[in-house]
Amino acid sequence: MKRPAATTDAPVLTAERLSVRFGRSIALRDVSLAIPRGRIVSIIGPSGCGKTTLLRCFSRMNELVSGASTSGTVHFAGTDLYGPDIDPVEVRRRIGMVFQETTPFPKSVFDNIAFGPRASGFAGDLQGLVEEALTDAGLWSEVADDLDTPALELSAGQKQRLCIARTLALKPDVLLLDEPTSALDPEATARIESIIRALSPRYTIVIATYNRWQAARLSDLTAFLDRGELLEYGLTETLFTNPREARTESYLTGRTQ
Amino acid sequence: MTRPTSRRDPIGAACRVAALVVLFGFLAFAAYLGFTASQVVGMDFLRGASSGAADSAGIGPALAGTLWLLLLTAVLALPIGIGTAIYLEEYAPRTRLTAVIESVAANLAGIPSVIYGIVGLALFVRALGMGPTILAGGCTLAVLALPVVIVTSRTAIRRVPAGLRLAAYGLGATRWQVVRNQILPVAGPGILAGCCAAFTRTAGAAAPLLVLGTATFMSFAPQTPAHPLTSLPTQIFSWATRSHEGFTALAAGAAIVLLLLLLVMNLVSAFVVRRLGGASP
Repeated sequence: MKRPAATTDAPVLTAERLSVRFGRSIALRDVSLAIPRGRIVSIIGPSGCGKTTLLRCFSRMNELVSGASTSGTVHFAGTDLYGPDIDPVEVRRRIGMVFQETTPFPKSVFDNIAFGPRASGFAGDLQGLVEEALTDAGLWSEVADDLDTPALELSAGQKQRLCIARTLALKPDVLLLDEPTSALDPEATARIESIIRALSPRYTIVIATYNRWQAARLSDLTAFLDRGELLEYGLTETLFTNPREARTESYLTGRTQ
Repeated sequence: MTRPTSRRDPIGAACRVAALVVLFGFLAFAAYLGFTASQVVGMDFLRGASSGAADSAGIGPALAGTLWLLLLTAVLALPIGIGTAIYLEEYAPRTRLTAVIESVAANLAGIPSVIYGIVGLALFVRALGMGPTILAGGCTLAVLALPVVIVTSRTAIRRVPAGLRLAAYGLGATRWQVVRNQILPVAGPGILAGCCAAFTRTAGAAAPLLVLGTATFMSFAPQTPAHPLTSLPTQIFSWATRSHEGFTALAAGAAIVLLLLLLVMNLVSAFVVRRLGGASP
């Protein structure tokens, strides 16, 4: 896979007719969308609509689930991520993902951050890389004095920032965040959101969130998924103020159909 | 508030009585065994060879045989058993074949040990020409331990939170890196506890070794696995079935040594499990 050029308006990720099945059930149906470089894109929709499944398609995580099958294509910088010669491990190093469940490894803060770089055989200044990742995730000042602290002793908000830092240490091109604040209080949520904003010029960020107001606050573009189908995708402001589809409007206004 | 009386809580009272009966029963058994064994246990008993005379017989060869058997069981059963568990849990696709392997392993864990003796006699002693040696005994006990190691290791691996696997894969780890760096450190204490249970089962097993054909009279301790098969449980069985009172004391002494050996193994494993569980891997 070649690394995408830093300055280009071309989409960094493009899904075409993407469908995912888990056994007999269809989780995603014919989804096509393009994620522009350097932007924040939110994927919203009711629970079970396929947000997480779509996000996981971008880093080939669905195939770890027994019985999952994916059809369609996902292009990353001109390469089909599902092509026969593509190693999913390499894809996951380039397209980093933070999961909904906050799961620090039962190791020190340092070893958590260093896990990804070590796994990919990083041979440079690991100490510097860990510091940079923790700084970008807004955690450095809180843990700098003792990087040997067991990660499990951090607060919930710190753990989530640790998980973000852990992914940033891979220096990915795209950052996928699955419900990054679902388990956090408003204060910790605000902190994470400001970090996401600060990261956005340097990273293309895709967030799956059940919180429509978070999508409105954070993202440049928003996609609305319902029952595995992409119903609407466009500029966040347009989608929130003038939705094209009645179902989008119902979801955004909290009315059920 | 008052303590519930036995009248108000008859089941609780019955459970308490049952626990006391077990406790005193065990203490009485240990006291009897200890008292009987105290007449014989000493360094001469531990080092001494078999003898037709009760007052000069020792368990040296049998103890060495049991240590050899434990070593062989560990060397053979642990890598194969833990490897199979890792394969079934982390690598194998969910096919009918893996379902059959899983079911066979789970059912084999419940088969009486004497059946393994018959398999060992046919396979190791006769078909593979090992004869009734320590090697054949070790192989048989390894087969006996294998299902327990597989089943308990799989349970320990399955208990590793799915989120840890997912996070590690999401950070670009290969399957082996996930197994080595996340699964094994977290599942390690559980795997070790399971292996210890399997070892306890094999170390005390007399039936399969009796089927293989064990030597109960041996004048020197085995130096290699090619030595004729001898072990503490079979020595105990041999002495316990003799009518002479001196041999009953010898059997009690050997039983105490076997129990202490198992106790030490369990304590060491509990210590290691606690250290592994408490420390960050």
